[in-house]
Parts: sequence; C-alpha cells; structure tokens
Amino acid sequence: MNRHQIWVLLAVVLLCGCGSDERIIDKIGFVQSTSQDLLPDGQLKIAISVPIANPEIKEGREFLQTVAISNKVGQMKLARQTNLKLVSGQLRLILFGRSQAEQGIWDSIGTYYRDPTVSETVKIVIVDGDAASLLSKDYESFPRTGKYIDGVIAKESGEHIIPKTTLYSFLRDYYNDGQDPIAPIIRSETDSVAVQGIGLFRDDKYVGEINSEEGIIFTCLYRSFKRGEFTVNLTEESNKIVSVFFDSLQSKRMVKLVRTNPGNPEIKLHLKVKASVVDYPGELTLSNHGDLQEFERKVSEEMTRRGNQIIKKLQALKADSLGVGNFVRNSMSYKDWKEMNWREEYPKLNITCNFTFKVKDYGFQHRHH
Amino acid sequence: MTEKLSPFHATILIYMSQVGMGIFTLPRLLAEQFGTNGWLVLPIAFLLSTLNILLIAIVYHLGQGRSIFKILEQSIPKFILYPLYWVLIGIWSATGCLIAKYYIIVFQMVAYPTANPTIFKFIVDVLLFLLIIKGIYNIAKAATIFYWLTVPLLLLMLYYFKDFEWARLTPFVFRDHHMSVSGASNLYFNFIGFEMGLLFFPYINRKTKLIKSLLVSNSMVSIVYIYVCFITFGFYGYKHLSTIQFPILNILAYIQLPFVQGTENLFYGFFLFSILITAGMYLWAALETTHTMIRAPKKLLALFLVIAVFVIALIPDTLVEVMNWSSNLGYLSTGIAIVLPVLLVILLLTQRIRGEIT
Repeated sequence: MNRHQIWVLLAVVLLCGCGSDERIIDKIGFVQSTSQDLLPDGQLKIAISVPIANPEIKEGREFLQTVAISNKVGQMKLARQTNLKLVSGQLRLILFGRSQAEQGIWDSIGTYYRDPTVSETVKIVIVDGDAASLLSKDYESFPRTGKYIDGVIAKESGEHIIPKTTLYSFLRDYYNDGQDPIAPIIRSETDSVAVQGIGLFRDDKYVGEINSEEGIIFTCLYRSFKRGEFTVNLTEESNKIVSVFFDSLQSKRMVKLVRTNPGNPEIKLHLKVKASVVDYPGELTLSNHGDLQEFERKVSEEMTRRGNQIIKKLQALKADSLGVGNFVRNSMSYKDWKEMNWREEYPKLNITCNFTFKVKDYGFQHRHH
Repeated sequence: MTEKLSPFHATILIYMSQVGMGIFTLPRLLAEQFGTNGWLVLPIAFLLSTLNILLIAIVYHLGQGRSIFKILEQSIPKFILYPLYWVLIGIWSATGCLIAKYYIIVFQMVAYPTANPTIFKFIVDVLLFLLIIKGIYNIAKAATIFYWLTVPLLLLMLYYFKDFEWARLTPFVFRDHHMSVSGASNLYFNFIGFEMGLLFFPYINRKTKLIKSLLVSNSMVSIVYIYVCFITFGFYGYKHLSTIQFPILNILAYIQLPFVQGTENLFYGFFLFSILITAGMYLWAALETTHTMIRAPKKLLALFLVIAVFVIALIPDTLVEVMNWSSNLGYLSTGIAIVLPVLLVILLLTQRIRGEIT
C-alpha cells in the first residue's frame, strides 16, 4: 500500500511541474463580449469588453478597441493594449455591426469556430448601427454592458420574441443547404439597449429583419415551443380596434408539403397555438361558447394574416430562414435537389401558413354585458 | 488459476477495450466518408465485426480452449514464430501507447495548450503499468468500475434531443460520400478490441461463455455508436458535422452552466477511464505475448514494455502526427484482428486433418 502512496505523491509533485500553463486569475482577462464593425475603408473595428473584479476600476470592466485588417489581427492588437492575458474561454457574446453583417460575417465566424476555446453556445447578435459604440457605452441603471446585453437576449429568447441563436445554430443553418441562419438584432437607445427584431441572413449576409412585434409569430413559424406572450389587434363589430393580450403561449408547428403537378410543391405550415387570454377589452363574452369560438376564429385569422406577411417578406428577400428548403429537399430525389437552384426557386414557391388558435383559459374575467 | 473471468466481467472488459479515442471523431468520419445519414453504415460494421467474432468462436471451438500460443507453437517452428510474435508485440504495444498519447494530446489541446505532454504521458504510463501487472482478473474488475463511471456520459446525450431535427437528417442515404479504404479501416478500428478475446482462452472456463460475452459487448458498442452518431447527425446535419474535428468534444461543450463554460474539459476527464482500459488491454496483450517467449517475471517484462512504449510515444508530438500514427496502427491492428483468427482456424484445421488433435 505504501508503495502506491509514493506513486500518488510522485504524480502530484510532477503535476505541479506543469508551470507553463500556470494561470493567475488576477492576471487574466476573460473576454466576455466582442464586437466587429466594417469601416468604409474596408478595415475592421474590433472591440472587446473584459469584466474586471478590481475595486479600483469603477466601471467594473475594461473596454478596448482597435482597427485591423482581420478579426484575429485585431484581437492580437488588443492583447497588446492591456496588462491582462486575454482568453476567450468565457466569451458569451459576439456583436456584429450592421455594416459588417451586410457584407457577410463568415470570415470572422470561421475564426471563432476554429478557436477550440470558444464555446458553441456564444450568442451571435447584430447591432443596428455601430457595434463598438454600443458596447462601449455604460448603461447606468443596468449591469455592465456585455452582461446586460447577454441578459436581454437571453430573456427575450426565453420568451420566444426572438429564437435562440448561437454560434452553433448559425453554423448549423449556414452549412445546411435547406436553411439560412438568423440572429437577433439590437439597437442602442438613450440609456438602454432594445431588441429590434430578428436579423435575416442569406448565407452569411444580413439581408433584412423581422421587427420584434412580429417576433413571436416568426418564432411560431420557425419551431414548436412553449412559453411566450403576444398581442393581437382585433376589429370588433363596431369597427373599434381592440388589443388582446395573451400569455402562456404553446405553439406546435407542422409542415405539410403537397405536390399537385409535376412542378413545384406547395408548402403549408400548420400552427396550433394555445394561450391564456390576459386582457381582452372587447365585445365578445368569452364565457359564452359561441362567442369564444368566434373569438378564436378571429385571432386565428389575424395570426394567419401576419404569418403570411412574414413568409412573403422572407420570400422577397430570398432568405429561407424558416428552413422550408429542408422539407422541399426531403421530398425530392438527391439528384433533382442538386440540380434545382433552390435560392431562385424559393421565392416562386407557394408557401402559406394557417394558424389554429385555442384559448387555454381567460383568467378571472367572467363577464358582463 | 482457480479464478476465472465471469461472463459479466468479460463483457465489460471487451466493451471497454473496444470503445476508445475513435468515438470522438467517429461522427465526423461517418459524415465525411459516407455523407448523408452516414451513421447507417454502423449496422453494416456491426455485422462485419460479428462475423469476425464468429471466427474467434471457431478458433475457441476447434482449439478446445487451448491457448493460441500453444496452437501456434504446435504447427509453426519457433524461428518463424518468434519474429511473428515480435511483430504482434510491436503493433499491440504501439497501438496501446498511441491511444494514450492521443488522449493526452487532445486533453492538452483543450486544457493545457503549452504544458509538456510527456509528464502527462508518464503519469498515464505509470497507471497503465500498475494496471497490467495486476493481471486480467483485476483489470476486468477495474474495467467494471470504470464502465459505471462512463455510462452517465451516455445519458447526457439525451440533452441534445431538444435541438435534434428529423428534417436535418435528410432522407438520402450515403449521398455526397467520399468513401475510401482508409476511411473504412478507421471505422472498423472503432470496433476492434474484441480480438483480445483470443488471449482470454487460458483465463476462462465454459461458464465464462466467452463468445457470448464478445457478441454482447460488440452489440453494446454498436448500440452506443449508433445512438451517439444518430443524435449527432440530427443535431448538426452531415455537412456541418464533416467540418468538425472532434464532434463529441464540441457537443459536450454545448452544455452551458451559468458559472462555467468549456464543460467538455470536465467530461473529457471521465474518458481517461475508458482510455486506460483500451490502452491497458493492448499492453496486456503485448505482455502476454512477450511472456510466452521470455519466462521472466511478468512485472519485470511489464516494466520493460512500459518503458519501451513511453519512449516510442515520445516520437510523434503533434496532433497531426499522432492522428496519422494511430490511423496507420489502426490498419495494422485491424489486420491482426482479422488475419490472426483466420490463421489460427487454418492451423487448427490442418492439425485436425493430420490427426494431431482430436
């Protein structure tokens, strides 16, 4: 037994010798967020935000920026501006300025993808405007900026206003020949940051957005999910428009592909949505069965209208963000799919959606008239 | 020699020798080589490996449980046989040490980029030495404990079902493939390890039901591979998958905890157990072969073997070199797994015809 203890001791002693990888936490800068903008002269503006646990530094973080010809060169330049050893193992957020996103982000995404220390769960976010200046600002009533943005995105995707998009999902959809990636788009306001909507990509190029009011409808078309809230405007009998507020949303997506003629297929997205009515100031009495059905029909119609609008927009932008191509591809032979120019065929396709809305409950209102 | 391997221990031991470093790259290999739904090639590999195990069954049956070294020595003169033994020892021990080296160099890449891998290798080799001198029964017991430590990792894979999509799998089978002999061999390398069963003959009796153990463990391995690769294909899509060096490391890193990122480091550590057994079994096989030629104490032989192996492993020192070496050794070990039982069957049949055995 003693002999074994010696071995263990020896192992411990030897392990302590791995000194070249010694890391002292006070001397490491864990990059939490990074941003990249494309400047008019073709150079890149790279910025990073590094949280610091030093009471002498009031902001609680270090913000650095530089101009370089590529992302990696920029990161190396930044490393020379600080007394900390920068590491990207804790990177949570990659911001791309709109200027960069419109020109394509593949080169930089590839840099992060190849770095084994960068996690695939890093969030990819587009900034409407200058990403570095958004990251540089301190929003006084909120946590330090990087963490604040990360929190906003996490919360909004938790509520399914925007789908959850990470480096993983971006790469996955980029490589998938039947789908285009998406990423949330945010903007800076006077003293806060707001989610503006869902950025749509064609391959790696930003081509347009769905604004956040339509976000939840988009998410319904995008995938099945639970949890979320939304509002629908209904026109009442008296032509008055009322806003209905729902929460506890559950949405189930089914994609049907119908091939009528030998030509292009027709795609129908069936969405089954259930939600609780939180506030309905309108004329129908929800406790009345007939009225309830009428109410559900009206909501379904309105959601269908909004859904179809989104689909039209995506088709016009030639961005297959919903992954319709997956279903078209899966209905054809491999040879036909390869011969087909999906990018060009996609806008011509007849894609429609159909929402079936059901009221789960209508809270404590049992009323009136 | 009263102790004999129990069926359960034999099964787990073989299972642990079959599962090695290959699993980290297996999904990528399948996506790269076989294209869409490449995981479907796994059942085919399962059938082939089952046939291979049946060859071992024939050897066991015809040889009536005699040690393979006795079978060989009966028909082949020693001056031919001994060089052959040395070849076996060389390949087995090099395979064992390369598996360990491979594990370490990947560990170093993800966790300690500039640390000297030789120190890690030394420690692992010490562990391997301590393991193999204990003999097969104790290795089997260690394997059983290690097995239970690695099983929870498999349950982790269920987590990825929430991002799994059937549509991403595509209905196409083996489209966009780039099949090659080396790819097929690398795939089969993930299954071998069962040839260790050939060396178990002196350590078992009828109750061990060795062949059944081999078949069961091979099925377990196949199920695990199919399960893991199927999920990975639906999680990434074959195109993306074919670009990821170590898909299983990536997928493990996908689990994010609020306070720690890079969870793969944590999980990867558990894999050491599986690697210890895989590498240990190859070294043990080399040791057994050495012992038939040199009647020295096993501990002493093991010491020389481990030192030799340590020195060999110093030569390849980059990931690319290690991957090349292990791929080449993969060919050789695969060759042994197929050729050795065939050779033994031929020998046994000739011995039977000549009436040397009943």
